[in-house]
Amino acid sequence: MAKPTAAAVSPVIDERGPVVMIGIAGLFLAALVALDTGGRGVALFALGGALGAVFLGFQYGFASAWRRFLTGGEAMGLAAHFLLIGLCALVFLGAPTMGLDAAGSIAPVSVSLVIGAFLFGIGMQLANGCGSGVLFSFGGGSGRMMVALPFFILGSLLGSFMLPTALALGSLGQIPIAAGDTALPGLAVNLALIVVAGGGFFWLGRRRGEVMPRRLLAASLTIAVLCWLVFALSGQPWGVTFGFTLWGAKIAAALGVPVDGFAFWRWPGPRRALDHSVLADVSSLMDFGMVLGAGAMAAAGGALRRQDWPPARQLVGAALGGVLMGIGARLGFGCNIGAFLAGIASGSLHGWIWFVMAMAGSWVGIRARPQFGMTA
Amino acid sequence: MARLTPKFAYILVLLAGLALAIGDHLASRSMAGLGAPSDLGNACAPCGAPCTK
Repeated sequence: MAKPTAAAVSPVIDERGPVVMIGIAGLFLAALVALDTGGRGVALFALGGALGAVFLGFQYGFASAWRRFLTGGEAMGLAAHFLLIGLCALVFLGAPTMGLDAAGSIAPVSVSLVIGAFLFGIGMQLANGCGSGVLFSFGGGSGRMMVALPFFILGSLLGSFMLPTALALGSLGQIPIAAGDTALPGLAVNLALIVVAGGGFFWLGRRRGEVMPRRLLAASLTIAVLCWLVFALSGQPWGVTFGFTLWGAKIAAALGVPVDGFAFWRWPGPRRALDHSVLADVSSLMDFGMVLGAGAMAAAGGALRRQDWPPARQLVGAALGGVLMGIGARLGFGCNIGAFLAGIASGSLHGWIWFVMAMAGSWVGIRARPQFGMTA
Repeated sequence: MARLTPKFAYILVLLAGLALAIGDHLASRSMAGLGAPSDLGNACAPCGAPCTK
């Protein structure tokens, strides 16, 4: 039997330089955040860091779990995702009863949503990661994600230019499930739907002889607690991809692109984000935290040193996947976190439609993976 | 030719990203509170897209 390596037995801080660098960067950013937005900003920055460390530590991903389901029928990953969504729904939908000054994420059911989620699904299979996956893997030093992330940012900026036109293609507006009911019956209906979906995937997995890995259970529970804290502190569910859009717009504006000439950037919310610091936007701030949290975790465990570049064809796939995810995230109102998790957990029909369309896109993306040197 | 390792590239990209973020922060108007696009303007989506009939 092979002897376990020292790093596998106990993660040791064997990359002191990057750990110290990331620690100093984190403290410096936290100090800047504290000066402008106080303790709430610092807490959300720290929560982003914790999410990065937890996602990387547990290797909690969406793209690979969906791929394993579509190619081999392995369903426990999806069951774990719905467990996480159900736990989040308890707080997101129960917020009024708990007296929380926070609201869920309910986006329009529109042609834009259908197109965006489908493109996102293709992209996440080509890049080997979704919004959170790209971010925490980038934070962990992944060469693939060092290519995927800038293209995700570019795609996200392009998506922001396209969204007003895409919205004009048709929309049924926001459709909350069980709307009009009082809080508790609405919560019960939504939880029942989540339990049916999650239970269905669990049943499919059990039928194949799968067991729910403890790692997935622990990760789902930990991430749910962090999502509750983000919701309570920021007043809304955790979202990843608007931060990318904002970074893209800021860089483009600095390069002389007339970003504010596009309709999206004249809407009040995006306009405010563009006018102020990247550290004053919740999504962007938490994204920085997530990168640094994952980076610290990877450096402490020696993972940075073990990274290698994937073959060039796979990097082309990562770039294309990044662009598709970026466009898809803007047209589809978010990624696996902002649309799938937050949408369904908020009782919004758009979250379920996003799930179906992104799964369909993943099916296409999986079939395209061999063109980029990856297994289907 | 020396090979650019992912670790070295990562550190460069991370430092460049942090420099950009800090530069943007210092050059931006201050805001006494965090915000999100959906906070303003009759937004119907997390990205701040307005409600349309």
